Amino acid sequence: MNLHNLLLAPVVVALVAPAVAARQEGEDVQFNRDVRPILSDKCFYCHGPDPKHREAGLRLDVREEAIDYGAIVSDDWESSLVLERIESDDDDMRMPPPHAHKDLSSEERAMIRRWLSEGAVYQPHWSYTPLVRTQVPQQESQSADGAHPIDAFVNARIDAASVTPVARADAATLVRRLSFDLNGVPPSWEDVRDFSKHPSEAQWEKLVDTMLASPRYGERMATPWLDVARYADTVGYHGDQNQNVWAWRDWVVRAFNENKPFDQFTIEQLAGDQLKNPTIDQLVATCFNRLNMMTREGGAQPGEYLASYTADRVRTVGLAWLGSTMNCAECHDHKFDPIKTRDFYSMGAFFADIRQWGVYHDYEYTPNPDLRGFSNDHPFPPEIRVESEFLKSRIEQLRDESRRVVEAFEFDERTIREWAIGTREYLLENPDGWRVASTYWPGDPPWDDDLLDDGSVRINAKSPSRFELEASGPVVAVRIELLPAHSKGGSIRRDGGTDAFDLNPLIQVLRGEAKDPETVGIHVADANLKSPRYSNGFELTGIASGWRTATRLDQVHTCAVVFANPVELNPDERLIVDLRDNQLAGRVRISTTPVAPVGPEMPWSLDAKGLARRLTAWIDADGDEPPSAEIEIRTAFARSSGKATEILNVLHALDSEIIECRCGRTPVLVTESVNPFVSRVLPRGDWQNETGEVVLPATPGFLPSPPDTDGQHRLDRLDLARWLVSDQNPLTARVVVNRLWRQFLGEGLSPRTDDLGAQGAAPSHPELLDWLACEFRDSGWDVKLIVRLIVTSEVYRRSSATNENLLSADPENLLLTRQRPRRLPAEMVRDNALAIAGLLDTTMGGPPVKPYQPPGYYANLQFPDREYTPSPPRDQFRRGVYMHWQRTFLHPMLANFDAPSREDCVAMRNEANNPQQALTLLNDETFVEAAVALASLSLDEYPGDEAGPRIAMMFRRAVSREPSERELQSLVELGEKLKDVYAGDEDSARQLVATGVSGAGEHHDPRQLAVWTNIARVVLNLHETITRY
Amino acid sequence: MNWQSRLELNRRSFLRNSAIGLGGIALSQLACDLAEAKTGTVPQDKLGIPPRQRDGGVRSVNGAIDPLHFPPRARRIIHLCMAGGPSQVESFDEKPVLLERDGQPFPESLTAGQQLAQLQNTPLKARGSFVKFNRHGESGQAISELFPWTARMADRLCIIRSMQTEQINHDPAQAFMNSGSILKGRPSMGSWLTYGLGSESENLPGFVVLVSQTSGGGAQPVSARQWSAGFLPGRYQGVQFQSRGDAVHYVGNPPGVCQSTQRLIVEEINRLNGWRAEQGHDPELATRIAQYEMAFRMQTSLPELADFSGEEARTLEMYGIEEPGDGSFASNCLMARRLAERGVRFIQLYHRGWDHHGEIEKNMPITARETDQAAWALVEDLAARGLLDDTLVIWGGEFGRTPMGQGSGRDHHILAFSIWMTGGGIRTGMTFGATDDFSYQVAENPVTMHDLHATILRLCGIDHSRFSARFQGLDARLTGVEPARVVEEIM
Repeated sequence: MNLHNLLLAPVVVALVAPAVAARQEGEDVQFNRDVRPILSDKCFYCHGPDPKHREAGLRLDVREEAIDYGAIVSDDWESSLVLERIESDDDDMRMPPPHAHKDLSSEERAMIRRWLSEGAVYQPHWSYTPLVRTQVPQQESQSADGAHPIDAFVNARIDAASVTPVARADAATLVRRLSFDLNGVPPSWEDVRDFSKHPSEAQWEKLVDTMLASPRYGERMATPWLDVARYADTVGYHGDQNQNVWAWRDWVVRAFNENKPFDQFTIEQLAGDQLKNPTIDQLVATCFNRLNMMTREGGAQPGEYLASYTADRVRTVGLAWLGSTMNCAECHDHKFDPIKTRDFYSMGAFFADIRQWGVYHDYEYTPNPDLRGFSNDHPFPPEIRVESEFLKSRIEQLRDESRRVVEAFEFDERTIREWAIGTREYLLENPDGWRVASTYWPGDPPWDDDLLDDGSVRINAKSPSRFELEASGPVVAVRIELLPAHSKGGSIRRDGGTDAFDLNPLIQVLRGEAKDPETVGIHVADANLKSPRYSNGFELTGIASGWRTATRLDQVHTCAVVFANPVELNPDERLIVDLRDNQLAGRVRISTTPVAPVGPEMPWSLDAKGLARRLTAWIDADGDEPPSAEIEIRTAFARSSGKATEILNVLHALDSEIIECRCGRTPVLVTESVNPFVSRVLPRGDWQNETGEVVLPATPGFLPSPPDTDGQHRLDRLDLARWLVSDQNPLTARVVVNRLWRQFLGEGLSPRTDDLGAQGAAPSHPELLDWLACEFRDSGWDVKLIVRLIVTSEVYRRSSATNENLLSADPENLLLTRQRPRRLPAEMVRDNALAIAGLLDTTMGGPPVKPYQPPGYYANLQFPDREYTPSPPRDQFRRGVYMHWQRTFLHPMLANFDAPSREDCVAMRNEANNPQQALTLLNDETFVEAAVALASLSLDEYPGDEAGPRIAMMFRRAVSREPSERELQSLVELGEKLKDVYAGDEDSARQLVATGVSGAGEHHDPRQLAVWTNIARVVLNLHETITRY
Repeated sequence: MNWQSRLELNRRSFLRNSAIGLGGIALSQLACDLAEAKTGTVPQDKLGIPPRQRDGGVRSVNGAIDPLHFPPRARRIIHLCMAGGPSQVESFDEKPVLLERDGQPFPESLTAGQQLAQLQNTPLKARGSFVKFNRHGESGQAISELFPWTARMADRLCIIRSMQTEQINHDPAQAFMNSGSILKGRPSMGSWLTYGLGSESENLPGFVVLVSQTSGGGAQPVSARQWSAGFLPGRYQGVQFQSRGDAVHYVGNPPGVCQSTQRLIVEEINRLNGWRAEQGHDPELATRIAQYEMAFRMQTSLPELADFSGEEARTLEMYGIEEPGDGSFASNCLMARRLAERGVRFIQLYHRGWDHHGEIEKNMPITARETDQAAWALVEDLAARGLLDDTLVIWGGEFGRTPMGQGSGRDHHILAFSIWMTGGGIRTGMTFGATDDFSYQVAENPVTMHDLHATILRLCGIDHSRFSARFQGLDARLTGVEPARVVEEIM
């Protein structure tokens, strides 16, 4: 077998039959629908667009060439060489050759024969033809006010085929379907009940509009786009470190909710930075271009990875907007579509201006001077910092909580008053709240000459940087100031060096009798000036784990360290402040305070004057009864006095969460434009080969060019984006509408939503697809309009049940005679369980959340090492769209339900049905916890002895219907058995109901709750529960 | 009519015609078949496609290739993946000339224009092996003294010194080793094999992965994408057995739920799902019911699988296991034997610890010690139990290491490296292929990753050129589009 034969010898195991059946009896042969799929699959590999593998110089994809060759004889079709060869009995003559294992079926041969007999009419590939508005068919059978246009198209074919579609689904099914499809969550029972009572057209439209207006809509619509855009929270290669991209995810959710026109949506993501005076939001949108996988592996070749980043972007744009497998042209001209290798690299050239690095590190062997000092913990620049609605409102929420904690605490008024009087005295002496150290060393300091009038101390190479302060009385915080050392030109650095330097302040207390000092626990430490330090992509908050000065060394640096618990010092006791690791500060001043700072974000700021005023007003207030202290005073007391320890830890925990909100701002990767690098065709995709032709940015040659291509100016990303959504490009509108159709009807009008090229599938309703695409484009790319059109059609509302007649008349549902049931996508499987259990938290946006995950799952991740810490209870029940997306180790629950790792763009998720899914629903902590919560709800609502109402309630919540008599009976009996199990085993019951952190059901008898938890597990595991019918 | 709708028909007629005795084995078997059909691997006669010549051909159990293209020599594979890239010149490729040139500039004629990893932009110097080689067994194979146990079974091994790969960084090189491609979404060889051959185990996944890590330096991360099923259905994905917690995610019952309660729950779920199926709404229900049964069987069988208490003390000693189930390579090797006994098709053991850029003299002996004895024990144990004949064992990394020094270690090297294979139809006591005097280039009989894949498939009864699956309009193959050679000389 020669090399060529070897290449031609595949067994097609995945079975994709050509769509011969799409044609109804009596219809003319249509090349695109009936013939092209056969030729593409069986002939084009050797007789198609790719000249390198073309056999015998024959190409069959262009009519003129086939005729010139004699393969097709137009005026004597029966003598066509094609016919002779495909019908030959001789193994040496027959095409396709037997060794190719691409045999034609007799139907396929008959189809080619018939096509030749009808004149061998070719059509340009359907999706590449200009997009022209089609006529909505007139329907006789419809009422005078006219059918829904979608139904008109669909019914025209159904009528022609004399088939009766299934009836509309029942009201409950419809509400449930709409709720999952538009909002991704189950409907409320009230919605189901109300619509069931009045299932009118007007009510349906009202329901549709309500759900389109719900913020849940944007979350539901975002998921498919996040798949296409390959959105993930980590970079994917090697160490798979975190990247800061969630602000872009929030932008996507917002864009869908605001119904941002799809052309704008396109332009802003691909080229927001190239718009005139771009808004911050438009810059955030350009994070899209940065969602490719990235590496910082030692020894990686920058050139190789730059080529791979570019290829990734071409693939993504190809799939997302052009529904095209452009990636096939990376190494060779496309085998089936007219995409040339040159097209691939010309498309890549659009992205050559993006500021990026092949390897995001500064290794000796691959130096990147721009990234000097980078480690595995650094982010992936360029980033900008933007405000986040989530973070800002989270801060407000936490402050409110802190306030409520103080309000709810019962203070002893007398103790407060004593504290207030003492504190006021202190504040009169120390108006700014800080008391500067009087000595830095007990007895004779080794460098007392250098103790300056302002209370600072000058230090030199021999001075210890460990100070022992006399600071009797209460101390809540220490302030350290690094002051310019006058001898060194105003620098805070002693040796005149110009680099930032590190300190690592340690605070200790040396008690009278103890030999060794005890270390003081730190609540918050932060500085007004510092260089950023990172941990796995995130900037560390505060300086508790170390302080690196800013690079501006001529400015006073101030840091404050707030203690976890206020310290009380006797006169003979010492407060030790050790700057550690530092011999570079030139002059230091240290102060202490007994007053806690107002907020955790700027701990050096005390608002001493405000506090003094409040204390005075309160202490001196007239009246018979002393007024109780206002909230600010009580807060200051709780934080400063050391006498409200019950709530101090709570307040500090809230402070820590506030700090993590980073003043409401987050970094986000964006596109920055720089001088484009030279783009070449890489022969066979080999990045080291520099012999390829230099290419400029250009749209694929087989599609009409952008109108303003004058050959003079270099096209840029903005040109590309505008072209994608221009009238010249026939693909974008078709691709997007086809994907939307799949989302609502289960399969695209052209079923391969990820390939509208020759190897994809011809649309079952090409006129409808084009009409919808035109409607989309001409409406100003109005996504909600298209969604609304689809879900108000009768086609959408058909039952997903089927019948004998349809199974024989329309077995593949090509006529759209019924809906398709589908298991919920991974994120929604989880959202659904939480919603049923009443646990779902609909807070929107923000940093990725981390639901529980089996321990040790990240053990094989390194650089840096990883330990997964689940989010605190506050963020445990958020929607799946906000879950942390670790590309190399996707959360097992998501992975088990076919969520893609998002290493690459995906337009169609797998839909598997496997034992891992059963194990997840049965045993994953989140789902068990949901069962506990659902059980608890049912016991709350129906506290009596009767089991029936509780079971019915679970059914209403989980499957939007009442249970049948036998379902009810069966679960009642299960309950009886479970009662026996748990009656004598309270320990097991306690273990089960203690699952998770929600605390649901704590008020119930654990044995009873355990029984109902198991019944709830059954309900949550039902196939119906995780299916949208 | 396309296959999906045929399937729908099949299911529907099944649901109409079957007596509702849900939960029976027959049903579960049928439903399993249906599950495969859903995912595109149903035996073809179920799809109305004429069955291929059946007589004479060897049947696969429930795989996509039926009958097999060739009589298979191997029924299962254990891949001992030495992740990080072991040095060939300190293991199986003895190079006296390199040793003579130790410390001298490396011949530029060899390295010009070749790809480097961490040695980019640095002067290149030869680095001789720091260990001795000896001849072992009747075959007299040269094996370094770092591998005394492996040396004992020299006559069982086929050592290939002429391996080549195309990728020079760990992540893509491992992807290339596993899937024959660096494109995302490509199935790994374990997935291809379970897809093609089906699974012989009713209650265990067909493709199992275990990972251990060195106590010395030289560990690199390894990604779950290495055992991804890519575009093949998710059931062919490798299942990683965890060293902490449940061996398989979510396989343990919730706290406070005993096995008999769990059984009640699963039965109830299936009873209710069965009633729903009677209404004929959703063909997927039959599959769902079968998957719950399979899930419960996994729950029942895994504890037994992970329970090493039935193993004799001398077995543990033979593998060098300190604490059974401790996540060590040795313990994983014993688990590999237990999985092989239970019909798991493809077992892949990663040992993360061969990336010896620095301190190779200190660290490589550690990694070798961690793996040497257990690998030997596994092979001998399989042989003693009669399993080695149809189990193919492969030992090797994603690439080798440079004959040039990198400080106190060696950099990645893709042009030549060594692996060994045994069992499953492999010729024993032979060394195949050779490198030049420096172990820089292959001098004879190069074996590419695609050649290795083609050979593995051939040993399993599969013609690699006829084994493909449709993805994005193309017939994708494990061995890619370039020609690949079955290395018949070693079979």
